[in-house]
Amino acid sequence: MLELLDQETIEIILRTLRMTITSTAISAILGVAFGLFLESLQPTRTLPKFFKWLVVAVNRTLMGMPPVVMGLVVVLIFTRDGPLGFLRLMFTFEIMIIAQVLLVTPIIAGIVYTAASRNGERIRAFAHTMGASRLQTQMLVIRELGNEIFFAIITGFGRAMSEIGAIVMVGGNIRHHTRVMTTTIALDTRRGFQDQAIQLGIVLMLVAFTIQIIADFLRKRERRNDENF
Amino acid sequence: MMKISNITKKFSRFSLDWRRTDTFESKIYGIIGANGCGKTTLMKIMAGLVKPDEGEIDHGGLTPRDITMVFRKPYLMGDTVYKNLVYPLKIRKITPDEGRVSGLLELAGLSEIRNQYAPSLSSGEQQKLSFIRALIFDPKMILIDEAFSNMDIKSVTRFEQHILASQQKNPITWVIISHQLSNIKRLCNHVYFMDSGQFQAEGTPEQILLDPQAPELKSYLYQQSF
Repeated sequence: MLELLDQETIEIILRTLRMTITSTAISAILGVAFGLFLESLQPTRTLPKFFKWLVVAVNRTLMGMPPVVMGLVVVLIFTRDGPLGFLRLMFTFEIMIIAQVLLVTPIIAGIVYTAASRNGERIRAFAHTMGASRLQTQMLVIRELGNEIFFAIITGFGRAMSEIGAIVMVGGNIRHHTRVMTTTIALDTRRGFQDQAIQLGIVLMLVAFTIQIIADFLRKRERRNDENF
Repeated sequence: MMKISNITKKFSRFSLDWRRTDTFESKIYGIIGANGCGKTTLMKIMAGLVKPDEGEIDHGGLTPRDITMVFRKPYLMGDTVYKNLVYPLKIRKITPDEGRVSGLLELAGLSEIRNQYAPSLSSGEQQKLSFIRALIFDPKMILIDEAFSNMDIKSVTRFEQHILASQQKNPITWVIISHQLSNIKRLCNHVYFMDSGQFQAEGTPEQILLDPQAPELKSYLYQQSF
């Protein structure tokens, strides 16, 4: 397959993978930590139940945020006159990663939070009665929610891989610089170069298919876990 | 020795109101009462899982690592029976003694399935595994919340004999919640009866089960006898 692809296409595929893997890895760290933290928050007098509900509601809204809106927000922040404009990040590879992290983190956090809400308290209670330390308890929660966390990361990876709206706005789809698979497909289709668009489309589908196979394998494992009902 | 004094805990639909002081030392205590009367909440407070709104708990030198609780619906990790059993040792960085492990698996009748995936066990087997997991690290206080409810009679008898034998050799504090009054009668030195979140009566199993005085207790025992 790779022999059929020209040098530039390979460069685009590798850049896409680099961007997607980097942004998913950062989002995974932030999203898993935030999802678990949010679940473990117990309402107190200083931290009312309403606050947790509000944070969860905002996160759920961000999970479904249109990428172009996120792109617009990032542009407003990082544009030359924006609050972080001095960083000169517009139309760079780095700002594409930032935009993707902002899109993917709420998705991973939301899925992890939902999974942890089902079992987190029970796992922590069990760990407490076994005499586990705080760190050991957290490690156990992560281990026991491993399938769900992995599934959340794969979902985030899929979102990052297929995303176009935000990265074309902040990256600019610059050749040899910020051009990735989705932006190239859109551009080539518009210019009438369907061959390259089809090639990239097939590669993108293959990656999506691989993700789907992994996710399906995980779901089967979960079903096996629950065979005794 | 654990001392609890004037414990209260309010929930939206229920409140626990334990307005007295009780000491739990190296004996076997039973707590009985109808569903929803606050037994499990009291036990969770003793285990440190629930913080009371008011009241004092003097752990008398016991650390959280000395106290364990066995739940009616136990949590089993997504791993083998063996790995679940030795988990308390693993977190204490203690190498499992194979003889002890085999002995406990035999006690629970789980020797043949030590490498089986634990969450796939039957509910009775899960309770047995959970029970021996609480024994393996020699805690000083074991709280049992209806942990025999799904076990067969033969297994319950075996566990009862084990508790009584180990109690003679090395007495620790046991607190047992059970609706099986026969368990309470055979095992306990002292029994508490609760109703609507409050203490109602206490005494030896004979006093509580054979010569009940409180009307609520009489009514509870009458209902349990059917």
